[in-house]
Amino acid sequence: MVLGALHPPGAPPPVGFELLSVQPSLDAFARAFELVPLGQQLLNSLTIVAIAVPLTVVCASLTGFAITRLGRPWHGLAVTFTLVCLTIPASALWVPRFAVFRTLGALDTYVPLIAPALVGTSPLLVLLCYWSARGLSRDLIDAARLAGLGPIRVWWQVVLPLTRRTAMAVAALAFVAHWGNFIEPLLYLFDTAKATLPIGLSSLRQLGPTDAPVVLAGAVVATVPPVLAFAVAQRAVLDDTRRAGWVPRR
Amino acid sequence: MSERRQLGLMLAPYVVGALLLFVVPAAYSIALALTDADLLTPSRFVGTANFEELAFDDPIVPGVLWRSALFVVIAVPLRLAVATTLALMLHARARGVHAGRTFAFLPSVIPDAAWAMVWLFLLNPVYGPVNWLLGLLGIAPVSWFSNGTAAFFAIVLMLAFTVGEAFIVALAARQELPRELYAVARLEGARPWFVLRTVTLPLMAPVLTLLAVRDVAVSLQATFTATYLLTDGGPDRATLFLPIYSFDMGFELLRYGYASAMMLLGFLGCLALALAQFGLVRRWRLGVTR
Amino acid sequence: MTVLGASGSGKSTLLRVIAGLEPADAGRVLIDGADQARVEPSRRGVAMVFQSFALFPHLDVRRNIAFGLRARSAPGELIAERVRETAAALGLTELLTRRPGELSGGERQRVALARALAARPRVLLLDEPLSNLDAQLRVSTRNEIRRVQKQTAVTALHVTHDQVEALALGHRVAVMRDGRVEQVGTPDEVWERPANAWVARFIGTPPMNILPSGEAFRAEHASCAVDADGAYTFAFAERVGAERYWHLHLGDTEVVVRAPADEDVPERGTRISVTVVPGRVRRFDP
Repeated sequence: MVLGALHPPGAPPPVGFELLSVQPSLDAFARAFELVPLGQQLLNSLTIVAIAVPLTVVCASLTGFAITRLGRPWHGLAVTFTLVCLTIPASALWVPRFAVFRTLGALDTYVPLIAPALVGTSPLLVLLCYWSARGLSRDLIDAARLAGLGPIRVWWQVVLPLTRRTAMAVAALAFVAHWGNFIEPLLYLFDTAKATLPIGLSSLRQLGPTDAPVVLAGAVVATVPPVLAFAVAQRAVLDDTRRAGWVPRR
Repeated sequence: MSERRQLGLMLAPYVVGALLLFVVPAAYSIALALTDADLLTPSRFVGTANFEELAFDDPIVPGVLWRSALFVVIAVPLRLAVATTLALMLHARARGVHAGRTFAFLPSVIPDAAWAMVWLFLLNPVYGPVNWLLGLLGIAPVSWFSNGTAAFFAIVLMLAFTVGEAFIVALAARQELPRELYAVARLEGARPWFVLRTVTLPLMAPVLTLLAVRDVAVSLQATFTATYLLTDGGPDRATLFLPIYSFDMGFELLRYGYASAMMLLGFLGCLALALAQFGLVRRWRLGVTR
Repeated sequence: MTVLGASGSGKSTLLRVIAGLEPADAGRVLIDGADQARVEPSRRGVAMVFQSFALFPHLDVRRNIAFGLRARSAPGELIAERVRETAAALGLTELLTRRPGELSGGERQRVALARALAARPRVLLLDEPLSNLDAQLRVSTRNEIRRVQKQTAVTALHVTHDQVEALALGHRVAVMRDGRVEQVGTPDEVWERPANAWVARFIGTPPMNILPSGEAFRAEHASCAVDADGAYTFAFAERVGAERYWHLHLGDTEVVVRAPADEDVPERGTRISVTVVPGRVRRFDP
């Protein structure tokens, strides 16, 4: 992708080994920014991510811990509900969600794009938080309760510091998910000034095949931020996860 | 504030989000499916007409369902195998493992739309590197996006790399297995293949099952961006899967009622899988029972 | 006060109910005569030392000790002073900046005790406080707990499955079985005058001998000798700490008696007679 993007625009990139021997040129990038307001779209995407990622971390972690403190039958119901959500493809709910947001007057705003952060962006992230909160020793939580902390302060002072690994991983995965989100902007945004980067890429796609370097340059622009975010969080996500408690112990 | 109140407050965002994004839309989709809604003019109640059309009159639907099922049957085991193999290869601490994990996860970091652009380039029939590599092996160039079967497998291929989420979960599951078991296996002189079959995979089975059920939803969903940007369901409907077809029906042709009926079908299919999964969850204690 | 019971007898649940961490199915929890049913755990004036110590791994020793006071938003000077006092009393002054991960088992135990005491509880709950320590540390920590309890004069409720620990630490001992209290008494009472046959068998190594006739006595209150007319037969000899015991049979009943001094171990099946110190025989309904 990077190699292709460094070739000059206006001609198809060379075939075979010649692809490797480039005279690096940023013309394709300049051309991509000319054709599509990539700068504005970059800003739009960043805005969404800046709101949605912290919101996801807080909501997923709060929910995960709160579920561990629920009594019967709510505990089981909450976990089951989350597992069921995990198995529903979003496409099954496109139309009714669209109708719901239309009723709420939230079309052509960022509300429908950020709303999933309330449910941890993906049910899987809530489950990760739930499992890792459940992995904390019960005595530890009880010690904090005896000391006089309510559930919210237990979460803030004990659970969140002790599951920082999980929070980092959730942040990274949420960033990737919101950043790459293509379908929802396509459904909910009409004003081109509000479009996000993936939408910009799909307009670049309309260009002919000879402009492959320009298309690839756009793809590079869209890929750099999540790669950076991932680089920051990669130790949290990919290091030895033993004791992070991401999968339930039997 | 009492403990109960605080717990309620902590769960409030999740409950609101769940209502807004799952419960209300799920209920609403049933209502929509019984109308001819286009969301522009007042909708009319049409009873089961949409479902009848789905079942008997729409000549495209059987093909879409069959193709989607075929895709799931091929793509899900493939993606799961890729994720699990990578996780098992990269779970231990060793040189290069960290780089390996990064490479395994990297394709999932790239936005779907950018990933599609990359494959548009890689699979280009004239200058694409894939055909060039095939040429080196003496295979005639494939016109990936004008041959139906080739296009179908191109989609499968490009989605076989984006398994980051499953990879991470499988990795965590593998690292959770007690080391003592592997010490015992070594002392008993068990061969790696035997250990894999009798220890590793059975112990990982609950998590792998969860991932498999989850991937039905994920992989089907992932076909949308790929088909929307690369093939538009073509050539000759060879890549017309359920998500893109229902999208066209609803958002291109404004037949929301009919699209709802179709999506409800997919929804019910997934719910059936979820219930099957609930049985597994019961048995394997993913958290429902303590 | 010590609660002694086998694992699964409900000791820990009892503590958790007293602390308010779990609701009681029946009965009431009174502290200084006041019913605690509607009182939040943190307002009951109880502190707990957990079996796992439950130290916060992300906080250093100072913050662990100060945790309860900070959680209740005590003024800064008071916190500093209490931490200093408590740490000094438990010999932790040097360790205040360390994290739990850098401490030995004994040190962690003392931090857990310090954290529980720093908030000056009315009742101190100790859940198997010694079971995570090795044998030598147990004795010194036992003395430490006794000393601190005397010094602070706090009411301590201690739960254990280890009878040595229970009899050594408790002023009074409650023996629990399947969630019920079988006997409450001083360690001497429980040892000398068990309330029933179950307690008699539960307390003591070796346990109290109970003959089919219902007569019961402890091994150290009886003597035995080789005697051709003896009612007992010899099975085997055993050393437990300073004592040597002979295991004898009376029909199907096994009886353990302190071995006579300077007597060679007899052959298996040798006839033995047993004499119990007068006044040391207890009777239970068979």
